[in-house]
Amino acid sequence: MGKKNQKIPIPPQLPPEIADDEVEVSDEDFEFVESNQDYAGFLKKLDTKSITRHVVRVAGQNEDALETLYEQRNKKMSSQKLAEEDGLKAVDPVDVLPFKTLDGKLYYRAASADSRRSENMPKEGDAASEDEDDGKDKDIVKLTKAERRRKLKKSKREAKKQAKDLDKMDSLQEDTVPETLQSEVLAEVKEELSAEEVFVKKKCKLAEIGMALLADPESNIKSLKDLLQICKDGDRNIVKLGLLSLLAIFKDIIPGYRIRLPTEKELEMTVSKAVQKMRYYESTLLHSYKAYLQKLISLEKQPFFQHVAVRCMCNLLEAVPHFNFRESLLANVIKNISSPDDVMRKLCCAALKSLFADEGKHGGEVTVEAVKLISDHVKVYDCQLHPDCIEVLLSLSFDEDLGRASSLKEEKLTHKKKKRRQSDREINQLKDNDKKKGKQELLAKTREEVNADLKATSFAPDLEERRTMQSQTLSALFQTYFRIVKQAMDPAITRPYVNTRSVSGGFGRHPLLSPCLKGLGQFSHLIDLDFMSDIMSVLKKLAASNGDAVSSESSLTVSERLQCCIVAFKVMRNNLDALNVDLHEFFIQLYNLLLEWRPDREDQGEVLAEALKIMLCEGRQHDMQRAAAFIKRLASFSLCYGSAEALAALVTLKHLLQKNVKCRNLLENDAGGGSLSGSIAKYQPDSSDPNLSGALASVLWELSLLFKHYHPAVSSIASSISNMSTAHNQPTVKEKRQLVR
Amino acid sequence: MRPLDEAETTAVFEKLFKFVGNNLKHLVDRPSHEGPDPTPGRYCFRLHKNRVFYVSDALVRRATNISRDRLLSLGTSVGKFTHGGKFHLTVHALDLLAAHARHKVWLKPTSEMSFLYGNHVLKSGLARITDNVSAGDGVVVFSMSDLPLGFGIASKSTQDCRKLDPNAIVVLNQVDVGLYVRKEDDL
Repeated sequence: MGKKNQKIPIPPQLPPEIADDEVEVSDEDFEFVESNQDYAGFLKKLDTKSITRHVVRVAGQNEDALETLYEQRNKKMSSQKLAEEDGLKAVDPVDVLPFKTLDGKLYYRAASADSRRSENMPKEGDAASEDEDDGKDKDIVKLTKAERRRKLKKSKREAKKQAKDLDKMDSLQEDTVPETLQSEVLAEVKEELSAEEVFVKKKCKLAEIGMALLADPESNIKSLKDLLQICKDGDRNIVKLGLLSLLAIFKDIIPGYRIRLPTEKELEMTVSKAVQKMRYYESTLLHSYKAYLQKLISLEKQPFFQHVAVRCMCNLLEAVPHFNFRESLLANVIKNISSPDDVMRKLCCAALKSLFADEGKHGGEVTVEAVKLISDHVKVYDCQLHPDCIEVLLSLSFDEDLGRASSLKEEKLTHKKKKRRQSDREINQLKDNDKKKGKQELLAKTREEVNADLKATSFAPDLEERRTMQSQTLSALFQTYFRIVKQAMDPAITRPYVNTRSVSGGFGRHPLLSPCLKGLGQFSHLIDLDFMSDIMSVLKKLAASNGDAVSSESSLTVSERLQCCIVAFKVMRNNLDALNVDLHEFFIQLYNLLLEWRPDREDQGEVLAEALKIMLCEGRQHDMQRAAAFIKRLASFSLCYGSAEALAALVTLKHLLQKNVKCRNLLENDAGGGSLSGSIAKYQPDSSDPNLSGALASVLWELSLLFKHYHPAVSSIASSISNMSTAHNQPTVKEKRQLVR
Repeated sequence: MRPLDEAETTAVFEKLFKFVGNNLKHLVDRPSHEGPDPTPGRYCFRLHKNRVFYVSDALVRRATNISRDRLLSLGTSVGKFTHGGKFHLTVHALDLLAAHARHKVWLKPTSEMSFLYGNHVLKSGLARITDNVSAGDGVVVFSMSDLPLGFGIASKSTQDCRKLDPNAIVVLNQVDVGLYVRKEDDL
């Protein structure tokens, strides 16, 4: 029995519920009590009051009512006692007639009531004693005290709550009561109470609650639920306002950490008042936040609330990406990332961009999740999405030094350690000093400890962790990109064109390809070398997928193919410090694309200019033949397109001529190219391979035409090019032209 | 002097294809402007005394005037058939291959000399290489000033070249222009 009691720290709380006849008192118990008469003395000293309170409380349904009743009674009794002691003998009218005993003492009614109460006591005391017959009355008292304290707290809180509720009720009633009073008199007025006034009133209430919450969130946390209630209002505008004000409140009061609800074990433990309060605050916050999110998610499906809900979610994601339930938040935002609605899409994209931009808020975990989700999204929709959802990924940033720095450090460390160890050994061998050795070991040990402490206290995320997160993000990112590229490559996909158009909003067959290529170009330095050959072969195929007349629909546009070339060059340039690879096939593509390019494209020649710059200007060397072919083609190209494109072409042309001195033979007025023309003796303008065009055998007569270009910049650059001398005495094109004049 | 028979044609074309790939078409379709004819003729292959020559039509017609045993050479010598019946490209074909080469390798100026002495091309001597060369392809070797120096067989693909040891062989030397000096008599 005793053991049992020790096991259960809180005494059984429900003795009164057990009817007397149900309690089975075993013989053992009787024996025990009899054998331990000394201990049984406590039965007489039982703190009957506390026991009764303890006992009765549990039985009661309405604890507060009972308690207040008791308190009142106690008060009354004490006041009576005081009165007795004072000899005032002021009695209740009920207790007018006192008893008089044989020895002449007066017993008042109150006393008898008291005694009557105490009559009840032993019975209950017995019941209690059955369980707690081990003489642990102190324990009981203590525990009951603890419980009383807790109960008191609860009652206080509840009282506060009630008071608050009452206040609210009052405030409500202030609105409603006069109305009801007047309603009989001014029924019409009440009817005329327009919807606007109600609206204004509700708005005011929202504002009041919101302000109160913001002013003191700790004590007013309860009113979050009221706000949530308001969000279920019939009036749509009020719901909108409620959602927005809740958003503002949550943004403000959500703490900078993730809330973890206490486990059951932790709940059992007794905690200080402050902790209790904090727990309550946090759990309320969390629950209402959850309810709010659920509300948002459900409202998002209704067309009227779509914008508000998405705006709220985006704002929340931006403001508190570290907080609980961010997964569902993120999932919902990403779901809308390619929505046909411009406003919603822009909102979601902006939210994600800001998420990627400052990773400090959430430590990078959300980035990984977001990129993975986008990847899944793309997979599910089979790449038929709005380009925005891939463009978002461009704002990702990767810390390249992360891996390198630490690995270098490790190397150094091991190196140093080795050295040190060696030197140590030498020293030890030389001096054979055990003391010193011990000292050094101690030093090393303390150093390690200090390092560990530093790591624990500094809140910077672990390097290792960050690196794994980054690599996860990268793998998800490239998975997405490769999926898109692969999809674009696959000619077998014969999806109904109308359908894709409606989804992608008129972005052609491969809406995601252009942002994807952009991204590949931007992150090309992070691609693993092993993927490289695959990427290059795929890009080659894409760039070469010139539209056959039959499958023109499935082929890529010129700008997309130009982008493929650009990406290939970027990938190569960024990865090849050691080896210089000549991307001949892409040059062939560019050479042909120059002919296909049309000036009326929406990209305004930016892609073309970039391609010319990256492929022709930044390359280190070119074949003479190839350079000549490009020079010739660019010259003829600049004749037929707008001034901007012509200017770009001419700048490239000038650059090529400056680098390839031998190509300046093109400026000579002597067609045929002499010994340089190689095996191809005649210029073939329709050749598809720059190496076989025999451009060296031609003359740049185009320059003299360009000299008369209406655009002053074009004409000036044309003249400057034709003035480039080949250090020969022969007249240049310009001179020849002047001669002709 | 006679045209190649079927087996010989395949042997020659296979060898050439290794170096020029699809440009073989250009090699055969190339118009020749030799002779006084206003319409351009074609080039063709002719076998003479185990040697294969790349000649224009006009020249072939004129060469028939010379008796077989007195004719030493015509057009461009491309290679020769060994006694075993295999076809070998000779150094004379270099210009033809260089003009139409599919895979090229550029040498650093410091390693040009070594190559011209008949040594293989090492990774350290590699200045530039065309993309997607695979092992076993024929490559033409150039100097940095685009002068053809010889040709050979790639021993490693472009991808593998990146991770290669600087002393590893990238191109196996088959022919280099140094042969003109070294084997003056045999040519």
